[in-house]
Amino acid sequence: MIKYICKRLIYLVLTLWVIVTATFFLMKKLPGSPFDAERFNMMSAQQQHVILEQYGLNESLPRQYVKYMGNILHGDFGTSFTYTGQKVSTVIGGRIGPSALIGLQAVLIGLAFGLILGIIAAWKHNSGIDYFTMIVAVLGVSVPNFVAAALLQYYVALKWGILPVGFWTDWRCSVLPSVALSFSATAMVARFIRTEMLEVLEQDYIITAKAKGLSPMKVLMRHAVRNSIIPVVTILGPIVVNLLTGSLAVENIYTIPGIGSLFVDSIKANDYSTIMGITIFYSAFYIFVVLIVDIAYSLIDPRIRLAAGREA
Amino acid sequence: MDELFVRVHVDESEKEHIAHPNLTAFQEGWLRLKKNKAAVASLFTLIAIGLLALLAPVFSAYSYKETNYDIIYQVPSITHLFGTDQFGRDLWVRTWMGTRISLLIAFVAAFLDLTVGVVYGAVSALIGGKVDAVMQRFIEILVGIPHLIIVILLMMIMPAGIWTIVVALSITGWVNMARLVRAEILKLKNQEFVLAARVLGTSTSMIIWKHLIPNTVGVIVINAMFTIPSAIFTEAFLSFIGIGMQEPKASLGVLINNGYQVLRNFPHVLIFPAIVIVLIMVCFSILGDGLRDALDPRMRK
Amino acid sequence: MKKRVLALGTAACLVIGALSGCSFTGGTSGTTAGESSQSAGASQSASDKTTAPAAGNQVLSVYANAEIKTLVQWAASDSQSSMVNNNAFEGLLRLDEKNEAQPALAKSYDISDDKLTYTFHLRDGLQWSDGTPLTASDFVFSWLKQMSADATNGYSFIMTDYIVNGAEYNEGKASANDVGVKAVDDKTFQVTIKAPTPYFARLTVLCQFFPLNEAYVTSKGDQYGLSADNMIYCGPYVVSSYDPAVGATLKKNDKYWDAANVKIENAQVRVMKDASAALNAYLANELSQVALDSSNVAAYQKDPEFKSESEFRTEYLQFSLSNPVMKNKNIRKAVSAAIDRDTLAKVILADGSSASNGLVAEGMYGDGSKTFRELNGNLCPFNAEEAKKYWEEGCKELGETPTLTLLVRDDSVTKAVATYIQSELNKNLGIDITIDTKTVQARNELMDNDNYMFASTAWGADYDDAMTYLDLWTNGTPYRGSYQNENYNKLVNDARVETDDAKRLNMLLQAEKLLVDEDAIIAPLYHRGSATLTKSNVKGLVNHPFGPDVEFKYAYFE
Repeated sequence: MIKYICKRLIYLVLTLWVIVTATFFLMKKLPGSPFDAERFNMMSAQQQHVILEQYGLNESLPRQYVKYMGNILHGDFGTSFTYTGQKVSTVIGGRIGPSALIGLQAVLIGLAFGLILGIIAAWKHNSGIDYFTMIVAVLGVSVPNFVAAALLQYYVALKWGILPVGFWTDWRCSVLPSVALSFSATAMVARFIRTEMLEVLEQDYIITAKAKGLSPMKVLMRHAVRNSIIPVVTILGPIVVNLLTGSLAVENIYTIPGIGSLFVDSIKANDYSTIMGITIFYSAFYIFVVLIVDIAYSLIDPRIRLAAGREA
Repeated sequence: MDELFVRVHVDESEKEHIAHPNLTAFQEGWLRLKKNKAAVASLFTLIAIGLLALLAPVFSAYSYKETNYDIIYQVPSITHLFGTDQFGRDLWVRTWMGTRISLLIAFVAAFLDLTVGVVYGAVSALIGGKVDAVMQRFIEILVGIPHLIIVILLMMIMPAGIWTIVVALSITGWVNMARLVRAEILKLKNQEFVLAARVLGTSTSMIIWKHLIPNTVGVIVINAMFTIPSAIFTEAFLSFIGIGMQEPKASLGVLINNGYQVLRNFPHVLIFPAIVIVLIMVCFSILGDGLRDALDPRMRK
Repeated sequence: MKKRVLALGTAACLVIGALSGCSFTGGTSGTTAGESSQSAGASQSASDKTTAPAAGNQVLSVYANAEIKTLVQWAASDSQSSMVNNNAFEGLLRLDEKNEAQPALAKSYDISDDKLTYTFHLRDGLQWSDGTPLTASDFVFSWLKQMSADATNGYSFIMTDYIVNGAEYNEGKASANDVGVKAVDDKTFQVTIKAPTPYFARLTVLCQFFPLNEAYVTSKGDQYGLSADNMIYCGPYVVSSYDPAVGATLKKNDKYWDAANVKIENAQVRVMKDASAALNAYLANELSQVALDSSNVAAYQKDPEFKSESEFRTEYLQFSLSNPVMKNKNIRKAVSAAIDRDTLAKVILADGSSASNGLVAEGMYGDGSKTFRELNGNLCPFNAEEAKKYWEEGCKELGETPTLTLLVRDDSVTKAVATYIQSELNKNLGIDITIDTKTVQARNELMDNDNYMFASTAWGADYDDAMTYLDLWTNGTPYRGSYQNENYNKLVNDARVETDDAKRLNMLLQAEKLLVDEDAIIAPLYHRGSATLTKSNVKGLVNHPFGPDVEFKYAYFE
């Protein structure tokens, strides 16, 4: 187990290194410079020199790369071009909170509703609630989250005035975006749980349990749900990552100072250091989540052993 | 005694006769799919949408880029079924042109997914060993970089347009397919019927063509079915955040973005493209589900 | 198993609790808990207004359509930053409700007879928000800083072009003592300029000319300006919290010399990048003022809260003279004459923008009685027949019918304008042009590398004088179409040193004619306008057509 985790961690570092290197050189191919050309042209040669020096842009690309790698090993991600003087780690750090809050809330909403819907749907297979669940599941993955977000904002916040429209001032502001984001998670979880449950309900041990005379409720809670919930862990990883990266359009609509909009803005503005910072953060987070899910899966389901020989 | 039991004469050819018509996996799948009413309805809806996307712009009196500043933001009427936009352009034509572009992007993405993904996965699984290990590490790296980052970076570097979106989508889109195909082939490789074929002296290429490929078709088709809506979605998303099509061309994502901007006063601009995109997504996902059930070997009876 | 799930849920809830704690109190730029609870309180009162619009202790709330990138004045060049800075700082002069420059930190100023020396007399008892006295040397420090090589906002020219030895100081060829800015005593600040400049005093309303306290700035080092508590202020307001992505909260500055006339206690600038979201917030009483985009104007223009004003900003097409096609004057004239600017401004934009008759924006200073625009007339009239003739003539000269590619930046308004131009050229010239949409950065690179045919760009006045536009085309860079015309350069350069106002104005009028009409180097499209809604209980909220955007100082609630 420990050997396996170590191996995965080594891969993690290797993968990250490749990603960082690839992004670094790819990013330099972005058209334009990180400075506002109109303003930059108006600077005197001295000022241009000073600012290039400050960001280390007057050196050759390989040198910049070596320097950058050295800096990130010391935990220094550089200074943002857009936000003059602000450390990239500070800028990103300030943006993670809102995105993470919305993402987490969306996952929780998705899990809660998804589980309930999925379990009931499977239990009452082919009933009204089953069909309802399937419709929710299909719609949930079919309605683009920005369409849902726009409509929710228009009706719930504006027409009915129940929740704030935008701004990021208190917790209530995070409700609508979380709900808008949670639809796809709800749909995915509900659908997944339903399929798993249907399979589990046909297993011999369920029939045995029923034959023993256990009440239907006990059969459901003790055996069926317990066994069908395990695989949800596998789709949780992708869901979490999707929510963190996919919240971009929703962040724009609700004017949430999140990391998704920061990323697109930084690319549009050629803010090299911020692009790198976010790429590293995203990738590390992604790989880490996948690793955690794998480990969690092995802990929960005793049938799966993370033998060293098993392919990841 | 002998007369009590008469030996029935059985024709040698009759002996080998199979009463059930000899069906390929596909034919059988189709038979089962036909029983799934929702899937069939989705299929026909998709065909209808496809036809409208192909034909509606041809048979309309307006072109998708024809502007008329006297009739901006008109609500739907007989002359303009979906109304008009900011430039007085007919939204009926624009919506179907947009659908055309979205579908084109989706199908090209799915096609690349099918070719690159399937070949990559199959090669990786069949050759195995070191090659497999290297190919898998490569995939892990690709998966490690968030999809969106690659797509956005590429979109910024390449000239804007349909083909850029297609390339950006397919650069990472095939990974999932490759993984699935690889896993499926690895599983099949060690199954009894392949072993049996091997023991009987069947050549490797025969095994690939006759056994491995037909048995992975189900997985491939289903995955392709899910690739299509996700490509449409990603394209719409990119257009929504402002890095997609160039005017006057418009994909559904561009139309939805324009519609969101004017939602308060001219909701019709948003509603029609949104309905079409949701319809496409719903149909593909129901059809995908139907196909999965139909092609799942465990469901064969 | 169930227990595990439960535990997971509880843990997640705890995380959320912790997160909601950290993310709203904004651990970013040193916002303290106290301040953020105040901002939460502000939103509380804002939402209370939903039910009772006339609640007391209101917060004036406006939005910025992009992040407030920095408050460091020698680094800031965006309008969002200058909006905050202008309300938290003050220069020698300040624009009043009628956009006239009035004495502010300076109570008066004298101009020497040769019009080269300006002596500003500061008010008595001026103080920074931390109680430090504000003296003339604070101006010397900040102006020198703006002229030094450290200034990264690209605005050094606005001082070095005028002030004696400014450019030399910037290049390191002159010492600080040689530069024409002197603190004669604590309350007298003297500036020596190179040539008579009628608008020089008016320049001092700009953010780059605000004072900075040397001791304070130096003591903060590179932390200066990164958060609200790393700054001191001298304007009507102090910034109590600042996060580039969220916005800034402002509180009345009790140490401000004119504090008695500042009526609103609390104000905030919120970052909202999406126009629809901002309008939604306005309708939900979360904003005091909102800018409308064209699709919403029709629905609100009868509303008593509606107001539309033009800004000193011109959007124009820049032709590149080094491009073989655009080198042809007839082609350029054809494109310019084929665009109906009235329809563009009234139907497509419909946001208070006006069709442009020339480069210099509508309403800008002319001879005192008439504006520059009125004096110079329409230099680029729409005429479809003429356009067609020019086009055919041009094609004959070129020997082929060229395909045109228009380079534009990727914001929604510019895209709409580009689509309009595409359809106009199609209708009036019978050609299909390609639109190349790029991010601002990418577009700028293409233009800098002279890799474009014609591009849509814009220029907003830095000060209220035609020179702010016309001196841009004297350097012949690819960005300005590689335009090199000695007559033009002579006109502009002579105007720079001309002491006679009438002669000077005449030179500038001729220069504009040369640029737009005769040589057709650019095709002006429209002067940007702003259509805004302002809550009926908010009065005196001033939107300046140039320089800093929204002025809180004169605002009050009714």
